[in-house]
Amino acid sequence: MNSDGWLHALTGELHRRGVDADLSRHVVAEAATHLRDSGEPPLQVFGLPANYAAAVAESVGTPRPGAGVARVAAPAGPPPAPGPVRLDVRGITKRYRRRTVLSDVDLTVRAGEIAAVVGANGAGKSTFLRICAGLLSPDSGQVRVYGKLGYCPQSGGTNDYLYPEEHFALVGAGRGLDRAEARAAGRSHAAALDWDPAGRTQARHLSGGTRQKLNLVMAALGEPDVLLLDEPYQGFDRGTYLDFWQQLWRWRADGRAIVVVTHLLNQLDRVDTVLDLTPARETSA
Amino acid sequence: MSPRSGTCATSGSVPPRDTRLPRQLADCATFFAVDQERRGQWLRGVLDLCVLALLHRRESYGYELAQSLDATGIGPIQGGTLYPVLLRLQRTGLVTAQWREGAAGPARKYYRITPSGADTLRRTAVDWDAFTAGVGMVLREERTR
Repeated sequence: MNSDGWLHALTGELHRRGVDADLSRHVVAEAATHLRDSGEPPLQVFGLPANYAAAVAESVGTPRPGAGVARVAAPAGPPPAPGPVRLDVRGITKRYRRRTVLSDVDLTVRAGEIAAVVGANGAGKSTFLRICAGLLSPDSGQVRVYGKLGYCPQSGGTNDYLYPEEHFALVGAGRGLDRAEARAAGRSHAAALDWDPAGRTQARHLSGGTRQKLNLVMAALGEPDVLLLDEPYQGFDRGTYLDFWQQLWRWRADGRAIVVVTHLLNQLDRVDTVLDLTPARETSA
Repeated sequence: MSPRSGTCATSGSVPPRDTRLPRQLADCATFFAVDQERRGQWLRGVLDLCVLALLHRRESYGYELAQSLDATGIGPIQGGTLYPVLLRLQRTGLVTAQWREGAAGPARKYYRITPSGADTLRRTAVDWDAFTAGVGMVLREERTR
């Protein structure tokens, strides 16, 4: 990693740690001066950007996430009062052959709320989201969506042979955005995830984590009122994972209704509703 | 890694357990690693004091402080260790900092000790002297036994 790359990464890590922007500029400038004076490689002098940022944050007394656990500082102040109901799910039941996956599930999410869907593997989390998205029919029950819907699948959803910005144009077209608008919106959402989607890399050549960023950006195109996110952070590194949650807080503050499937319990006290799909006991139909 | 720290020559007080060369080399390698770790622990306890002492002589900036510390034989101090210490000293009001153009060269962040920092240095230096005198005495008794 050269000095510029290292300093850029440091800037991002300091931001993620909630270090004050002004202080962060000083820290980065001072590191740059030191590297120029010493002529030594940044990794040798300062170590990994994430570790150095952590040391800086601790020194200046910035509230630090628990060591080794990716925790995001929720925005300060009381959350704004939730708005009108955006997603209303009543009595959803779904069986695969004779196995009941979902049994009489209810969920209400208002504008400005995040609902986390949790449960063991096979508990029906993805099935539930696909039903909410209208991709799958329940055996009984009803889903009402008030407003536009964005859905980010757990995987897939990208086209192997298209460039990222072609994806934006394609999805944007379905949401009434012209090519330039779609590209601008896509770039802006991508920047929030520290990703530059410009360039001619076909989706099949993107890393797993970057493909998920693409999926997430596509879900957010056209500013949907309801966002259904099915473990969209798989393959994200720690920094991107923190970026992702920051983005969720922003969306919530903007008044979106968000449903996110997660098995990472350490974020659960930062959401408004938790829907646990773990069956009370093994049910048989 | 500085060549003067943690060489086998410093292991004089450790009696060789075996005269065979490979064994000696293995001991030496183990000692070298432990020695580095121990030096790191010692440094953590006194680095802020050393920085305060250097700044008591005159104001300075990070890279120059690192060079001064290296020159005294305390050991090479990397920026990743030094700057967090400086930030902590700044936060606790023991030093102040200011970006300034140097006599020659680009703008640098210069650190200066405050009266409170000088006071802390004076008091803690006395404590440190008492501490190291005690450690020295115990270690000398052990060696002359």
